[in-house]
Amino acid sequence: MSRLVEKRTVDMQIIGDWVEPGTRVLDLGCGQGALLDYLVQTKQVAAVGVDLDFTRITACVRRGLSAYQGDMTEFMRAFPAKHFDRVICSRTVHELADPAAVILEALRVGRALTVGFVNHGFWKNRLNTLLQGRKIRNEVYTTDWYESRPANPVTIADFESFCATKEIRIARRAHLAGNWRTPCPTAPNLLAGYALYDLAK
Amino acid sequence: MTDDVETAPATSATPRYLAPNDVGLVTPRDFVCTQPFTFKSGQILPGFTLRYETYGRLNATRDNAVVICHALSGDHHCAGWHSPEDRKPGWWNNLIGPGKAVDTSRFFVICANVLGGCQGSTGPSSVNPETGRPYGVLFPFVTIRDMVRAQKLLLDHLGVAEVHATIGGSMGGMLALLFAIEYPHLVRRVLAMATTGRESAQAIAFNEVGRQAIMQDPAWNRGDYPRDGGPRVGLAIARMMAHITYLSDASMDRKFGRRKKETAHQDAYTFDIQFEVESYLRHQGQSFINRFDANSYLYITRALDQFDLAQAYGSLERAFSGVEAETLVVGFTSDWLFPPEQNRQLALALLRAGKRASYAELATDLGHDSFLLESEELYALVRGFLERDQPYAFAYEI
Repeated sequence: MSRLVEKRTVDMQIIGDWVEPGTRVLDLGCGQGALLDYLVQTKQVAAVGVDLDFTRITACVRRGLSAYQGDMTEFMRAFPAKHFDRVICSRTVHELADPAAVILEALRVGRALTVGFVNHGFWKNRLNTLLQGRKIRNEVYTTDWYESRPANPVTIADFESFCATKEIRIARRAHLAGNWRTPCPTAPNLLAGYALYDLAK
Repeated sequence: MTDDVETAPATSATPRYLAPNDVGLVTPRDFVCTQPFTFKSGQILPGFTLRYETYGRLNATRDNAVVICHALSGDHHCAGWHSPEDRKPGWWNNLIGPGKAVDTSRFFVICANVLGGCQGSTGPSSVNPETGRPYGVLFPFVTIRDMVRAQKLLLDHLGVAEVHATIGGSMGGMLALLFAIEYPHLVRRVLAMATTGRESAQAIAFNEVGRQAIMQDPAWNRGDYPRDGGPRVGLAIARMMAHITYLSDASMDRKFGRRKKETAHQDAYTFDIQFEVESYLRHQGQSFINRFDANSYLYITRALDQFDLAQAYGSLERAFSGVEAETLVVGFTSDWLFPPEQNRQLALALLRAGKRASYAELATDLGHDSFLLESEELYALVRGFLERDQPYAFAYEI
């Protein structure tokens, strides 16, 4: 198991811990459906994923998942309030053109929202920028500036400030150290590599 | 549906009907139902015939049937060849066959000509036993639901206990969906492509122009015409116009552009054929009148117009409330007859109703007929939907 794959599984386990068995879950930016497949098998959830890419939807369909190809905000607008028990936005927020709109819409259609993201404020990321003076490239940020999708690098401090401004209640938070495994309760914006939030409104 | 989707040329001396992934030579059969059949309209036929083809074998548990539903001008001959001399195979031969996306070595594939059709199933061109003449407009009004109910009787006759999947594009998608609504315990999967829960005003308008072309032709004679006669001019015009709606601006531009017919009159000031697209459409119209009945065209387009799931069941969500199947809806970006938005609405309504449903959208420029496209991407999706039976052991893949 590569280090990145190992990191991915830690991510999935915490997300899974916050999911109630047998509930209705929506995954925004579901990719090939790995997370939803895991939740279906471990939590017996009724799963729906949204993604933009035809081949990723094909991969979900092959796994027996419900998947919708299209814009996630338009998708959510087609559902009544609190239709989903939990919406999951795992490593997606930084790629969105309008993260606030997506998060608020997710809090309308979902009773709870899980947001997981790589903490751009992690000390190694800061140091990298400071010393190299270039866009970060490592095992997490694998692409050069000219081949990446639009990205809004987000930090834990940024995200918590956003939640306070929008009066979003943080029910749970999980800050993980640079190995994305060890809990990191102290000075997370500097010391945590990865952050997960359980939100409600 | 157009009938000129290009098939790959034969690459060897082996006749194409003997290709290993082809169902080969096939023979249509007739299912004769001798029980009276009551239409939605209340009108009754003493019995009816459905012409159909099957490929593959029904398994011991009788649950591997795949029902293919054809579109407006399609028929039961969706794969294989009727004779070695055939110029073209069945209309969905690229999708159906041993080892193909709809794998006939796994599935028992059934395709029937719809009730009201004219390719061997009972329809307005069939002889009315009371008069000894074709029914014409005395034939009962047909709905999509009537077509589905008649095909259910065929499935019973064939001993099908469970339908692995119903599959169709355009009107076929409507039938495929309605199968799962009307017979929820029977249908496990629905694959509906380039379809809609109800036609838009634009689609109804196109159908009406087609009907008017037929009915304004004096040879229509209120639907009373001999078998080899009838409103040939009107039917050809209806087909020419409908054919445009199955394509797209981009695909017509690529196929014809403004190319002139080589034989075109040097003089531009005439109404003879000048452009290749004119020649093509006239050919489409002419070949259609040799295989399609004008009254069937009226009946089936009327059935399409009247199909409205939301109205029939109260709402789309209520229409889908009893569905047990999982559904895959596929839209095509360049389809302006049943555009992606109408396909999306079906998947969204199914999800709102708490059903398992997926929506995929293929970027093509071939218009409504894209569902007939030779596309490895589409094949992978169809195969993935049909063949995944058990959830496989979880693998930590990204």
